[in-house]
Order: sequence, then C-alpha cells, then structure tokens
Amino acid sequence: MTNESFENVILELRRGVIVLAVLSQLDKEEYGYSLINGLKELGLEIDQGTLYPLLRRLESQGLLQSNWRIEADRPRRYYVLSTEGRILLPRLKQEWAGIVSMMKKVL
Amino acid sequence: MSTILIDAYVSEIGRRLPRKTHTDIEAEIHSILQDMLEERSQKTGKPIDEEMTLDVLKAYGAPEKVAATYQGERYVIGPQLYPIFMQVLRIVLMVIGILAAIGLGVAIYQMVGRPQNAFEIIIKAVANFGASVMTALGNIVLIFAILEWALYRASKKVEVKGLPKEKEWDPRSLTKVSSPNQVKMGETIVEIIGCFAAIVIFNFNPQIFGFGYAPNGNWYLGTGNWTSIPLLSERFFYFVPYLTLVWALTIALDIVLLRMGHWNTVTRINSIGLKVIGIIIAAVMLAGPSLIAVTAPTLATVLGDAEGARVLMTLLTQAVRVVLWLAIIGGSIDVIRVIYRTVTATN
Repeated sequence: MTNESFENVILELRRGVIVLAVLSQLDKEEYGYSLINGLKELGLEIDQGTLYPLLRRLESQGLLQSNWRIEADRPRRYYVLSTEGRILLPRLKQEWAGIVSMMKKVL
Repeated sequence: MSTILIDAYVSEIGRRLPRKTHTDIEAEIHSILQDMLEERSQKTGKPIDEEMTLDVLKAYGAPEKVAATYQGERYVIGPQLYPIFMQVLRIVLMVIGILAAIGLGVAIYQMVGRPQNAFEIIIKAVANFGASVMTALGNIVLIFAILEWALYRASKKVEVKGLPKEKEWDPRSLTKVSSPNQVKMGETIVEIIGCFAAIVIFNFNPQIFGFGYAPNGNWYLGTGNWTSIPLLSERFFYFVPYLTLVWALTIALDIVLLRMGHWNTVTRINSIGLKVIGIIIAAVMLAGPSLIAVTAPTLATVLGDAEGARVLMTLLTQAVRVVLWLAIIGGSIDVIRVIYRTVTATN
C-alpha cells in the first residue's frame, strides 16, 4: 500500500468519527475555531473545510443550534447541542461503544 | 490591505453559493479568518499584515473549493433520471433520424434530372439534421434539469429533523409488477416532454406545419428558406391558448406526481378534469370549421397537378379528423381507466 493510499484510508476512518466527536464537544457553546483547536488538543485534527459545513448541516438537521454574538468588536457564531442533539448524543455514544467492542473482536 | 484581501476572498466564495445562504456563510468565514489571523499573530508575535493574510487565505483554500464544501453533490441530470433521459434521448434521436432520412429521400427524389443541385441539397439536409439534433438535445436536457431540480427540492423536504430518512427501497420492486397507484416515471416524463414540445411548437414555431416550396418548383413539408404556405388555419390557432393551458396544467400535475411518487384521489380527479377538457376541445375542433388553411387550388398551383392536390387535400382533411377522433377516443378510455382506478382505490 502506498503512503497516499494509507493516508486516504486513515482519512476515511477519521471521517466516520467526526460527527460524534463534534457533537460530544458541544454540550457547552463553542465557536468554530475554538472547537477546531479544542479537538486538536485532544488529538483529533479536523480540516476547516470539513468542520464548518458539517456544523451547518448538523444545525439544519436540528441537532445543533447557533447564534451570533459580538465579542471583541466582532461577531462570532456559537454552536451548541439542541434538545434533539442532547437526546441523540447518548445513543450515539452507546452505538460507538458497540462499534469499538465489535471491532476489537474483529481485529 | 489585509481587510480588502479578506473581503475579496469571502465575497468570491459567496458568489459561488446559493443566494439564500451566502450572506450567513460569508459572515462566518470572515469571523473564522479573523480568528486564524489573531492566533497566528499571537504565536509569531508579529502584527497582522498582508503576507500573513495571504498565508492564511492560502491555507484556508481556493474559493471554489471552499464553496464546494458547503454544497452537497448536485447534478444537472442525476442517477435517478439518467436511465430515462438516455431512453428518451435515444427515441427522440431515432425519430429525428428517420424524419431526416425521409426528408433526404424526398429531396433526392426531386433531384432526379437535376444533379447540379445534389451537393447543396445534401449539405442542407445534413445541416438541418444537425440543427434538429441540437435543438432536441437542448430542450430535453433543459426539461430533465428542471425535473432534477424539482426532485432535489422534494428530496430535501423528505428529510426530517434528526437523522435524514430516505424512502424505503424494496429490492423486490426490481421484478414485481408495479401497483396501480405507483407513478410510472418514464411515461410521466415522456408526457412532460410531449406537452412542453407542443407548447413550444404551437406557440412559438407554428410554421413547422406548412408547405415550403422553392422557386424552381420543388416542394416539401417543413421549414426552410423557401416560400411557405401555412398548413393550419386561424380556426386551429383559436384553440391554441386553451390547449396550451391544458398542456401546462398537465406538466404541473406530472411534476407533482413525480414528486409524490404515487397517485391519490386528488391527483386522479385533476387528471380526469384535464382529460375531459382535452376531449371537449377536440370535439369542438372536430365539429367546427376546417382546421386546414391550405386549399386544393393553392396546392394545385404549388404542385402543378390538380388531381394530386385534390388527393392530398382529402388525405390531409381525413388525417386531421382521424387525429381528433383518436384524441377523443384515447382521452375517453383514459378517463374511464382513471375513474375505475379512483373507485377501486377508494374501496
């Protein structure tokens, strides 16, 4: 397997966990850039071109809500879990635990 | 300078996004870029300048790529409609090919004894064929693109809050006979194309139905640079607005049906209404004055053959009557069929 193919597979693997990772960080309000940095500190690097459209999509699906706030003389958009997102998150975490345990057996 | 750069970059992205969302996305990207610049400035201990802004913009990505991430995959003609598009295209191209071959055959027949015009006639036939293919292709693509857009909008509405839900697909549908309530996509699209073509032809290009003849005495059916005698009378064009309304409403009903995917009582009643109006129009056309404008003496002048002109006129008059009778009978059968299905579906 070439290095490029390996990178692509890793990218695919990571893509699958991004939604859960993002939702898990938004029980408190965060703006996009702080969210990217927060996840980076935890070891998950997300491309901006992936994160911001994803946040909008999750909002349009009703899992997140957002509001603009002025901070340091300029606007920032803050995202947080909606009521539906809060209901869905524990179920997703449970599903994830199931996947991990299943993959442990598989591998 | 850095603000100008950011504004230009952000508006370049916004230009590529749908009108409804671009202002909001532009504002968000603007805010993100400022966050990035501030962080970089703090890390390096340097003030924000043009070079730093250029670096950040480069890292953020080309405007077209950034804009693309905000839009899902979109098609002019997507996988759902593509097989039907190809089917319709094949049929239309075949019909155009046959008509072109007939036209060329007639032209070659007329050419006998005048071989000096052969090259010009063949070139004209090829050019006409090319123009017809391009027109047909353009119109078909346009219709399918509109349908694709309508279906895309409908699919967006199907999404419910939470996880996106798709219509359940049953693999047995690959082999089973379709239920009477299911909308037949192919048939419906062909009807839309037929109605669209009728609206365009009768409202904007009615001269297609005419006799053209050249000064040298040649004549043929269709258009061209030659003198043309209209085939259809003013009486016919009196009905065109009514027919256009029926065709337009039929297209609207078909689009609703495609979006719903199944028939219900309301759509069936609407369909019956439109078919009954169509039958009434056809009956009034049949009972009224002639719909043919050209007369036997005019044809005789063009053809130079009085007997041939008389026969052709009789054929034309009868052909119009047959078409109208077919419309009435076919429409009536359709109405009975739809009424039967409405009653059985209600029971």
